Amino acid sequence: MARQSHHRAIGQESVNVMNELTHPLLFTYQDTVSGEGFLAGITLSGRALMEEEDSQWWMYGVRPGTIVESGSSPQEAYLRFKNRYMEILFDIANESSTFEAFKQEIERFFYQPDPEEEQRWEESLKAIRRGREVSQPFSDLPRQAPEDRPSSVAVKRLDNAELNRFMPSDNALDRYFIPLAA
Amino acid sequence: MSVSIPFGDVERMLKVCAEGYTIRFATHCHVVTYNGLVFRGLPDYKDLQINHVRKLVRSLQINRECAEAQLPKLKKH
Repeated sequence: MARQSHHRAIGQESVNVMNELTHPLLFTYQDTVSGEGFLAGITLSGRALMEEEDSQWWMYGVRPGTIVESGSSPQEAYLRFKNRYMEILFDIANESSTFEAFKQEIERFFYQPDPEEEQRWEESLKAIRRGREVSQPFSDLPRQAPEDRPSSVAVKRLDNAELNRFMPSDNALDRYFIPLAA
Repeated sequence: MSVSIPFGDVERMLKVCAEGYTIRFATHCHVVTYNGLVFRGLPDYKDLQINHVRKLVRSLQINRECAEAQLPKLKKH
């Protein structure tokens, strides 16, 4: 399929706004990370763009905004993106001497914005809401209103058994969603 | 395959376009700081894919014209 990208100037920057192969994604990750004397649970509700470029699929982080990974298929790009995310969590754990320092750095990592990527995500969402068709395999993903799933990260200390009541219902798989059209 | 850029060329771009930057290798990824911002996702590869470098430039708010002058492959056509 021929790529139809559009560029427009914002200030002095040229922004690749989107093309018909740009897909906005919502995702949820829930992971446990060991640190120096603590165990932390990280639950993230994030946003990303998936785009085909030069015969590769690229997953661009919007929140968190500092990850980008590629694959020969969207599924490979998901996995590589998640692996990079986990590597960053492990790096932060290695550099944090306390749970509080770990939590603070995770939050800084998550909330550091990439305004250009955020704009592309919003433009892509508007295109879907204007009726742009979502192609396979993204059309198979569950739909969710972005308003019902705001970007967020929660970092919880888990190693204090007295303060935590662990339940099987706490477990969650990685999940990906396409925004609802309306 | 996407275009790649040697890691050393990216470091040279940082020296010219991101005065005061720091770079260190953590356990898995390189961590680059500049402008009060932190980029943690730089892979430990000899050659970096172009979109990793573009993301680095955007995330650290490095002057794009300067980065493209140092690394012409970054320009989008």
